[in-house]
Amino acid sequence: MRREQNTAPRLRVLPALALSLALLAVVVTASLAFGAGGVGPERALGALFGSGDDEAHFVVTGLRLPRTLAGIVVGSALGIAGAVLQTAARNPLAEPGLLGVSAGASFAVVVSIALGASAATLYAPVAIIGALLGCVFALGAARLRGVGDDPIRLVLAGVALSSMLGSVSSLVLLIDQRTRDEIRFWTIGALAGRNIPTIVTILPTVVLGIAIVLLLIRPLAALSLGDQVARSLGHRVRMTRIGAMLGVALLVGSATAVSGPIGFVGLVVPFAARALVGPDIRRVVPICAVLGPALILVADVLARMLVRPSEMPLGVVTAFVGAPVLVAVVRAQRLPAL
Amino acid sequence: MNTVSDRRPMAGSHTAPPGHLLLRYREWSVLVLYRGVLATLGLTIAMFFVAGLALALGTADLNPLTALAAAFGTGTEQDVFIVRELRLPRVVTGILVGMALGTGGCLMQTLARNRLATPGIVGIDNGATAFAVASVVALTTGLAPSGMSLAGSITALVLVLALSGGTGTRGYRFLVVGIGVGAVFGSITNYLLARAPIDSANAAYPWTVGSLNARAGGSVALLAIGLAITLPVAVFLGRQLSTMRLSDQVAQSLGISVRRVRVGTLMVAVTLSALSVAVAGPVGMIALLAPEAARYLAGPRTVPVLGSAVAGALFTVLADLAGRTLFAPIEIPVGVITAVVGGPYLLWVLLRSSSRRII
Repeated sequence: MRREQNTAPRLRVLPALALSLALLAVVVTASLAFGAGGVGPERALGALFGSGDDEAHFVVTGLRLPRTLAGIVVGSALGIAGAVLQTAARNPLAEPGLLGVSAGASFAVVVSIALGASAATLYAPVAIIGALLGCVFALGAARLRGVGDDPIRLVLAGVALSSMLGSVSSLVLLIDQRTRDEIRFWTIGALAGRNIPTIVTILPTVVLGIAIVLLLIRPLAALSLGDQVARSLGHRVRMTRIGAMLGVALLVGSATAVSGPIGFVGLVVPFAARALVGPDIRRVVPICAVLGPALILVADVLARMLVRPSEMPLGVVTAFVGAPVLVAVVRAQRLPAL
Repeated sequence: MNTVSDRRPMAGSHTAPPGHLLLRYREWSVLVLYRGVLATLGLTIAMFFVAGLALALGTADLNPLTALAAAFGTGTEQDVFIVRELRLPRVVTGILVGMALGTGGCLMQTLARNRLATPGIVGIDNGATAFAVASVVALTTGLAPSGMSLAGSITALVLVLALSGGTGTRGYRFLVVGIGVGAVFGSITNYLLARAPIDSANAAYPWTVGSLNARAGGSVALLAIGLAITLPVAVFLGRQLSTMRLSDQVAQSLGISVRRVRVGTLMVAVTLSALSVAVAGPVGMIALLAPEAARYLAGPRTVPVLGSAVAGALFTVLADLAGRTLFAPIEIPVGVITAVVGGPYLLWVLLRSSSRRII
């Protein structure tokens, strides 16, 4: 029955999942233990097990815990979204950041703030609508002749869309001083200073997005074999694509609302997951859900530790990790099959 | 005159082929396409017209003739001050930056045989910006940005070339590797700005999107000198590249050192892009649009280096004029205007044709 015995040896899903979970546990501990401030690992771990002083207790539960939780939610959402988008567009380079989905989300937030919105709770719906528009563009472009079958060209179009939206955002930020002050740091992408209520507001949409993805996982798996195959297996291709688009928009929009645009996570994580368990999206998605947070938190810990006592924006670290992966994927003689 | 035909005993060497102009001086002669000359002339006239408008329009609108007179030092003291001290340096800077961008774009596009392979898209501008911002944050001398941005652009180019294995004839891999390298440098720039105190970060912000506002005298002078040296070289390289468009073998058999032309083209493009970034930051899309316009006017038979330079100057001054006047009193950096206008065009180029061959 099992096909993968014929191909290169891959880890089975459960061992891979266990490995990823172990990695995530280590990273979560590190994220709670290390910081840019004065509370070192011993004091932080002491506070975690109830024996530390007040300052350490506050830093760990009041600052690092929300941040870690935000990282987990954002990382899962971006990792899964990347895997789904790559399957739906049938393109190993389709990444929410590169294809302009994140740019759509952050553009929508910039515009809404410039139009007078200010409550942080409004970010998520607006960002989701923006992400949806980005998705429509990306998958629409992927269906054009000559663009869809050329992965790199689709990425170029996405990058062009991103930079155009980015420059319109800059235009808005330049005209409106208030908007600029409010989201100067948000537009780079960071986890610092996120609190529990903010995370709770996006939880429903993230869960909804994951639910949509899980519902569509079989048709998506068939879709990765081609539209014809999926159709002959009885799946409705168009509905699957629209559903996948909606799921990706919910995930990316929610994640962007919390952390700002964070690039390359949706590229690196599915890439690693495919290396672990093979190209089948039914296995890739659970691994992505665990590896995404692990990557984000590693990047976040690095962002805290590299330039102490100040911090680097998270998006800077992920770009550093992700851009080499992008180059590696492109350098590969044949793009990896999906 | 007879000596010319003696030395070059080609049949009909006295008369130019149809559509061409034969320029000669003693034993040197050069064939120039009429249409290319006309295109360059037309673009130059348009450029001077827009430059005149840019001198006249602004917070205080002047009569174009008054502005022109003031530029030469006649008129009321106030007019002369506005035009000569405030607007003229800016217009001249715009012209220089635009010429550098247009020339670099035209050379790179022709070399890679891909109209998307401009210094801005393949990450060279980002490298230059990252290094220049580093120098602005850390050092405060006037000449530092030019040197640093040159170092940055060369670093970026070397990285992109090494990682992608050359520009290739189908430069898609070159482009995406360039985007990756550009992303790394872009994040370095963001990082530097995020670390800087909020006041200096706000001051540097317009500059990172490309603006003619933050120009420093030393960098502008360097850009002018660089242009004066490289533009003739670029015109010469353009003629060689024009032959290389056929194929490397043909060019080689016609006596062109393909390798030398390649290296020279990349060096000129990188230098021009770095010098212009040091003055105005990464003004995007000019390097894409200007050669496009020049090619449209001059036709496909020539590589319009001069035309691209003039078109670049035209577009830059026009975009800066729009940025100064559209949302007055707020000033929009020229790079934002060019990105907003050029972005849709870039998308159209990417999504339009079904063939892979773009140029």
